[in-house]
Amino acid sequence: MSTNSATFNGKRSFKLMIVDDSNIMRRRIERSNKFEELELVGTAGNGEEALELFGKTDPDVVTMDLTMPRMDGIECIGRLVALKPSIRILVVSALADKATAVEAMEKGANGFLNKPFTDRQLNEAIAELMR
Amino acid sequence: MLYEQELKTFVEGTTNFFEVAAQQPASIGSPYLMEGSPSVHEYTGVINISGKREGVVYFTAPKAMLTVLLMKMQENDFSHETMRDLVGEVANTISGNARRDFGRDFVISVPSVVSGEKPSIPLRPGHRSFIIPINWRSHSAKLVVALA
Amino acid sequence: MTVAGTERRRQLATAFIGTALTLVMGAVLIWGFHLATNMRANITALQSASALQNYPEEIAHQLNTLRDRLEVRAYSGQALSDLQATVTRFDQELKKINTGGNSESPQLDRALLLWHQYRPVLDPVVAFAGQPYVESDSAGSALSREGRKHYAEVKQAQLFAADNARPLQAQLASLASTLQHSSSDAADHLRGLLFVGVIAALMLAGAAAWFQRARNRQERVARDATEQTRDILKTVREGFFLLDANYRIGSVWSEALTRMFSRNDFAGLSFEELLQNLVPAATLSTATKYIKLLWGDRAHENLMKSINPLGQLEITMDNGHGSKETRYLQFDFHRVMGPEGVKHVLCSVGDITSSVLLARELHDSQENANQQLDMMLGMMHVDPLQLVSFLDTAETGLKLVNTILREPARTDAEFRKKLNGLFREMHSIKGEASALNLKSIASRVHSLEDMVSDCKKRPELSGNDFLPLVLKLDDLLAHLRGVREMASRLTAIKDTPAGIAAQTATLSTTMPSMKLSAATPAPPAPVATPERGAPRSVEDLRPALQSMAERLAHDHSKRFKLTMAGLSEVPTAYSATIKDCLIQMLRNAAVHGIESPDVRQANTKDAEGTVRVEFRKISDGYELVFEDDGVGIAPDSLRTAAVRKQMITEEEAAGMDTRATMALIFRPGFTTQDGVSMDAGRGVGMDVVARSVYALGGKIGVSTHPGRFTRFKIVLPPSEAASSTAVA
Repeated sequence: MSTNSATFNGKRSFKLMIVDDSNIMRRRIERSNKFEELELVGTAGNGEEALELFGKTDPDVVTMDLTMPRMDGIECIGRLVALKPSIRILVVSALADKATAVEAMEKGANGFLNKPFTDRQLNEAIAELMR
Repeated sequence: MLYEQELKTFVEGTTNFFEVAAQQPASIGSPYLMEGSPSVHEYTGVINISGKREGVVYFTAPKAMLTVLLMKMQENDFSHETMRDLVGEVANTISGNARRDFGRDFVISVPSVVSGEKPSIPLRPGHRSFIIPINWRSHSAKLVVALA
Repeated sequence: MTVAGTERRRQLATAFIGTALTLVMGAVLIWGFHLATNMRANITALQSASALQNYPEEIAHQLNTLRDRLEVRAYSGQALSDLQATVTRFDQELKKINTGGNSESPQLDRALLLWHQYRPVLDPVVAFAGQPYVESDSAGSALSREGRKHYAEVKQAQLFAADNARPLQAQLASLASTLQHSSSDAADHLRGLLFVGVIAALMLAGAAAWFQRARNRQERVARDATEQTRDILKTVREGFFLLDANYRIGSVWSEALTRMFSRNDFAGLSFEELLQNLVPAATLSTATKYIKLLWGDRAHENLMKSINPLGQLEITMDNGHGSKETRYLQFDFHRVMGPEGVKHVLCSVGDITSSVLLARELHDSQENANQQLDMMLGMMHVDPLQLVSFLDTAETGLKLVNTILREPARTDAEFRKKLNGLFREMHSIKGEASALNLKSIASRVHSLEDMVSDCKKRPELSGNDFLPLVLKLDDLLAHLRGVREMASRLTAIKDTPAGIAAQTATLSTTMPSMKLSAATPAPPAPVATPERGAPRSVEDLRPALQSMAERLAHDHSKRFKLTMAGLSEVPTAYSATIKDCLIQMLRNAAVHGIESPDVRQANTKDAEGTVRVEFRKISDGYELVFEDDGVGIAPDSLRTAAVRKQMITEEEAAGMDTRATMALIFRPGFTTQDGVSMDAGRGVGMDVVARSVYALGGKIGVSTHPGRFTRFKIVLPPSEAASSTAVA
């Protein structure tokens, strides 16, 4: 499991990447983020973009949509975890079926949040993710 | 025959979106039946369903409603693309709900979005659809369930 | 954990009692030995003291005897030696007592003091060894010199004895009595000690016995617990087992598993093996992935619970008789935490087959009710033409029901307003169905009617209450369609003459756009020929439309007459659309167009209104005119409503002529929006009418004069051109 040297409650800031094909959702997540330690370093609209952005920004925390054009979220999770095992990924998806959730967790996701969500639900999920 | 639970799942998926995303619940208006393709508003999010049931389910909303919805979501971009995103997200939610409730029987497509007042939504000819008005604030959208 | 603690405390207590018992008994024995030794010395001393009491008197007595002998010059040797012996014995005895550990006794001290004064007086007497007498002839025997001295010493000793023998004796008697006391005290001590020892021993023995019993009881409880656990595992309806870190089942599991999985070799079985061959590969893969995730610390309990994919697992297995059996199992997982993370996963399995099947059956029974058999039986004895006429009426009525439903509603009042109209339509259809003994239809309409009655009773109505209604309506329409199919087949069998067969065959599908519900078995292929898709003439609907108009007039307290002309001219390709349009427009006219009789009279109009329908062939197609002499539509209120609904801007509204304004009512969504004003309501559903007209390649227009009339004109192309799109 992830043994990131930085602790969430510590001073060090975390780099956040948002992956979602919907502009609204990207901005929504960005706006809802109440954690000062979490600094947005980039947003991506699909898996391929996410991987590219990962190479440039090395994020610690990722929110990941599942149904996206080009590379989908499940595959992207697998790739990201392979590149950086300590990465923490919150799946944010409208797909509410169990098999999808299990699949995502198995690929290495750390949390699962169903769309639509409230600000509170998102922040709780992020807090849970960083625990 | 469509089961009540199936219809409810689609309806709840829709109203839930308003309640959660905009913090203001939507109510449903008087539902009715329609033969042939019903009229649509400017923006429509469509999901295709196959498997035990075949057909489409779509959410169609007027621009005015989406504008207010975006405002309530503290969005300040009211571009065409954002509107499309938004109905796409509603359809996404409906699709997610349906996958949760009858994933074993249905194959549910990823939502697609069409815009304009005369889009081509491939309804099966001869289908009877359920039209469920979705009332939110002073606006009204439609959820159309056309399954057999 | 707590049981182990109790056990350890119990063992400590037992050990403590054992040790205490040993120590107490040892102390009692040692102390007792010491006491006994002391007592023995005391008793010896007592014996000596008792004996000594007599010595002073005896010494005094022997001194007297010695003196008497010396005075009569008798032989004194014997008396002296007796005295000597007595003094020596007395002295020895005293010394013995003195060294016997009674030195602290004051009586002995005083006795010794006296004896020390006495002894020097006695010593010369006792030490005498000479001849006391001298023999002389003159005086016979006389005291010698030595004898005289001896005699004086005896007399002196006798004198001392006379003064001191009694005190000495008293001291010795007192000593004896003290010794007597002290030895009886010692005996008391010893008795007391023994008593205490016995009590202590008894208490410890009691405590030991109590602990032993407690232990027995605990063992019995533990034995009972094991037994109870076994009983629970044997009888509980859920399957329980623990999974270890290798995802294998532990050695303890509940018997219910045997029934659920038809095996009993669970111990050591892996979870994957348990489900293998029972579920599809994809499900098995999801399940095993999930189980593995349970061991990780990636996700907390709630998240894991929320993504449990085995909440309702369908498994298929051989039932032992060669056929397959399907069961539904509900798995729940709970992580059992140890000091180093997840130790076990407790898995509970419930067999929810019956509840799942029950839900299915409920659905199935609904589906079964749809079966054709009962329709057929009901229809066998109905006159085909009567049946078709009824189907037309029923369908028209249900379409009106749908038209009522389509009117927008948000408030309780708006929803409630619909109920009466719905109920009335349904009641009328049910009456006719019952009269024709069409039970399958009557029962369906009846249940729909019941739903409407239920709605009336609810305190607050919303769209949700109407969802079941609209589903039932859909079902009913599908059923009517099925009946129509069946009727056409029956008449084809009954009436052999080709003419009648051809006529009735066209009755089969009045609504080409309506497809049979998937639940209704499709008719056999040879009968379902394309020609049968042609709808029957609108002219035949005349009675149904008339009765609908009467009902509407009655329900809304209006008076109007309906005139219809040329309906027999409607080509079959258009009849469905024309029928739908007529129903919609007729309702609009009856509800919103025609004024109530008193209003009409106040406006110097005939109390009875007129609704006129005319269909005719024109040079390049057909024309339908629908006109009522009611309130008409005010363009201004249409514009206001359109602006309010943000369909047009105020500038646009200002620039609109009457013609463009009136066209607003055909715009999609215009009338299905909120706020049904009189004017907006006037156009309810007109967008739908317009769409169906456009779909046939036709046009629709409206002209109106506020306060006087509203006239819709629909123009349709020649039917050949439209038939391909109309009959799909």
